[in-house]
Amino acid sequence: MTGSTHTYNTPASRRAPRRTTPERSGAGKARAKREGWAAFWFLLPDSLGLLIFVFIPMIMAIVLGFFRLDGFGNLSFIGGANYVRMVQDPQFLQSAAVTAIYLVILVPAVFIVSLLLALLVQQRIPFVGAIRSALFAPYVISLVVVGLMWQFLLSDKVGVINQFLAAFGIHGISWLGDPKYTLGTVVVISIWFQMGYYMIIFLSGLQDIPGELYESARIDGATAWQRFWNITWPMLRPTALFVLITVTIAVITGGFDLIYILTGGGPAGSTSLLIFYIYQQAFLYGEYGYAAAIGSVLVLVLLIWSAFMFRITKGGRVDDE
Amino acid sequence: MERTFTRRTLITGAAATATMAGLGALSGCASGASGASAPLQFWQFYAPQSQSAPDLKAQNDWFQKAVGDWNKRHKQQVENVFIPNFTDPSNTRLATAFASGSGPDIFLISPGDFLRYYNGGALLDLAPYMTKEAIDDFNPNVLETRRVGKGIYGLPMEVEPLAMFYSVPAWEKAHLSEGDIPKTWDQMLDVAHKLTTQSQSGLVFETVPGYFQNFTWYPWMWQGHGDVVDSHQKPSFDSKAVTQALDLFGRSVATGVAPRTDPAAGDVPGAFANGYAAMWQSGIWQVAGFRGTQPKFDYGVFPLPTPPGGISKTVLGGWAWCVNARGRNPEAAAKFVVETVGSMSQESITRIYDWCTVAKSDMPPRASVDKMMVAKDAFKNPKLKYFHDVILPTGRGEPRYPPVVYKAISDAIQQVQAAGGNAAGQAQKGQAAIEAFMETYKGGALK
Repeated sequence: MTGSTHTYNTPASRRAPRRTTPERSGAGKARAKREGWAAFWFLLPDSLGLLIFVFIPMIMAIVLGFFRLDGFGNLSFIGGANYVRMVQDPQFLQSAAVTAIYLVILVPAVFIVSLLLALLVQQRIPFVGAIRSALFAPYVISLVVVGLMWQFLLSDKVGVINQFLAAFGIHGISWLGDPKYTLGTVVVISIWFQMGYYMIIFLSGLQDIPGELYESARIDGATAWQRFWNITWPMLRPTALFVLITVTIAVITGGFDLIYILTGGGPAGSTSLLIFYIYQQAFLYGEYGYAAAIGSVLVLVLLIWSAFMFRITKGGRVDDE
Repeated sequence: MERTFTRRTLITGAAATATMAGLGALSGCASGASGASAPLQFWQFYAPQSQSAPDLKAQNDWFQKAVGDWNKRHKQQVENVFIPNFTDPSNTRLATAFASGSGPDIFLISPGDFLRYYNGGALLDLAPYMTKEAIDDFNPNVLETRRVGKGIYGLPMEVEPLAMFYSVPAWEKAHLSEGDIPKTWDQMLDVAHKLTTQSQSGLVFETVPGYFQNFTWYPWMWQGHGDVVDSHQKPSFDSKAVTQALDLFGRSVATGVAPRTDPAAGDVPGAFANGYAAMWQSGIWQVAGFRGTQPKFDYGVFPLPTPPGGISKTVLGGWAWCVNARGRNPEAAAKFVVETVGSMSQESITRIYDWCTVAKSDMPPRASVDKMMVAKDAFKNPKLKYFHDVILPTGRGEPRYPPVVYKAISDAIQQVQAAGGNAAGQAQKGQAAIEAFMETYKGGALK
C-alpha cells in the first residue's frame, strides 16, 4: 500500500485523443449546442412514439396485472391473484409448454435452414437471382394469405398434399385437425415463411467476408468444412447473433396471425401459443387484468433472454477479446 | 423586414411541426361520436353497405328503413354503423370500444356474450319502455336468456334453430332413402359410416373451438336431460348426459365418419355440392345459403337424432338489440329499440315480419309475427315449414354463460373431439373448473 492515491494506467491506444483544436472555443461550443438541439428535435417524434405506444402501455400493462378489469370500466385491486391464477391455470401452463416447444424447435430450425440457404445462394449458380427472389417471396406475402393458402393445401381428404400422399397409399392425415401434427405443421409453415428473410441477412454477412481469406485457405489446402469452420463461422458470428435474437423475439411475440387463420389455437389447445392465449383472455373473455399479467411475464422472459444474450456476447461485440 | 432561413432552422422547424402534427393526430384518436346532440350510433353488421347480393341488399335496406322511419319522427337521430366481421370473435372493435369508454349507443349481441356485458353494467333494462302485451308477445324461450329478474336487456330480432342438413345426391349414391333418416345417435353414426368415402365426410360437427362450437353442442347435452348448471345454479357438468354428448363428438371423429376440420372451410352448400360432406349439423340460415349459392341443389333437413331415453331438443340462436346503459342518451336509444322491434304497433310487427321473410329466412321471435307469417303463407317453402312445425317446438334458447364457464365447456369438447380424451374424465375436469368459478361468481344467473 503506497497511500490513498490510485493511479490508473490506461493503454495509450485506448485513450481518447485530446482535442486541442479551435473547435473547443466559443464558436465550437455554440455549434455543438445547435447540433444538440437539432438532434433533440429529430429524436423527439420517435421518442414520443416509443413513450406513448410502447413504454407507457408496457408500464400500464404491468400495473393492470394487479387488477381485475372487466373491460367495462370496472376495476378492482386484487394484488397478485392474477399471478397465482396463472400457475393454477392448466390452459396457461399448456400454452407456455406449447410456446416453449415451438421456440425450441423453430429458432434452431429457422437459423440452420436460412444459413444453409444463404451458403447455397452465395455460390455462382445459374439463375441465382431468381432463386434468391423465390426463396424470399413468401416473406412479402401477408401472413393471413399464407395461412389461407396453406389451409387450402392441407385440407383433410381433398387437400393437394393429402391427395399427393394418397398416391403413395397414405390416407387420413389431418394436418390441421389432429393435435399430433398441428404444431409440427405450423412450425414447417413458419420456417417456409421466415427462411427467406433470414437468408438475406446471412447472405449480407457472408458477402462482407473478404474473399482473400478463402483464397489463402485454399492455397493452404483447407477443405470446404475447414474453410467454413475457421473462416465463415467466426466472421459470421455478429450476424448469427442478430439472427438468433430477432428470431427468438419474433417467435415469442409473433405467430398470432398464422395460428388464428390455420387452427384458431386448436385442436384441443395444441397450437395455443401464449400470445394467442393473451388475446383470447383479453378480447374474447374480457379478462384484461389476467391478460396483462400474462403479458408482463412474457415481457419479463424476453428481457431476461435479451440480457442473457447481451451478457454472453458482451453487448453484441462477439469478436472483442 | 425580410427574414432568411438557414437550412438548420428549416429542418428544426420541420421536425417541430411534424411533432406537433403527430400530437394533433393522436388527440384525434378520441371517439368521434361525442356530443349529446350527435346521432346515436347503432353498431351492427348489416348496414350501410353496398353489396349487390339480393339477401345482403335486402338486409341493408331493412336496417336503413328502420332507422329512417325513426329519424323522420324524432329529434334525436340514430345512424347505422356497419362493423365488418362483427360476428367474428377476432373482431375486437366492440370490446375495445367498451373498454375505452366509447361503446356504441345501440348494438347487437348474441346470448353467448350476454352475461359479460350484463355483469359489466353495459346493458340497459328495456322493460320499463315496453308494454306488458309486447313483453308477452315475445317467445319466452328466446326472451328468457336476455332477462335478469324482471328486467329485459335485449330484444331478439330472429330465431335460428339448428337441425341436421343432408345431401340428397350423396344419400342416393350410398343407396339410402328417406326411410334411413336416423332417429337415434347410433343410427346417425351408422348412416354416416355408409356415407363416408375417400373424399366425403359422412357427418360434420363443428370443429373450430369457440362460442359457435359450444352452441352446436348444447342440444346433444340437453337431449340426455343434462345441463351445465342446475336450477339452483349448482354446477352439474359431471353427468351421464354430458359424458355421452362429449363422447358422441369424440366417437364420430375416432371412427372416421366426422372430419377433424370443417370441409370447404365451413361452407355447407359448397361442401354438399362438391361432394365433400353428406350430413352437417347447422342452422336455419343455410336455407337462405342454399337459395343464394346452390339454388338447384337437392338437400333435406331432419331433427337432431336422440340418445336412448333422450328427448328431442335443439338450440335457438339469434341476435338481439341492446342499449348501452352508459351511452350518450340511453333513454332515447331504448325508445328507438322498443319502438322499432319491441312494440305492439302494426309497424313494429310488420318490420319483424319483413326481417324474417324478406331480408332473411328465419323463425319469428314474437307470437304476433308468427301469426302474420302463417296468415301470409310465409312458410310455403317446405324447408321453412319443416323448421317451423317440427324443429322450432323442440327448441331452447341459446344459453348464456360467463367466459370461464364457456371455456371449460369448450376445453372439454375439444379434448374429447380432437385429442381423443376420455369423456367422463373431461366432464369431471369441466365440473371442477365450473365449481371453482361459481364459488366466487357474482352476476346474472346462468341459464
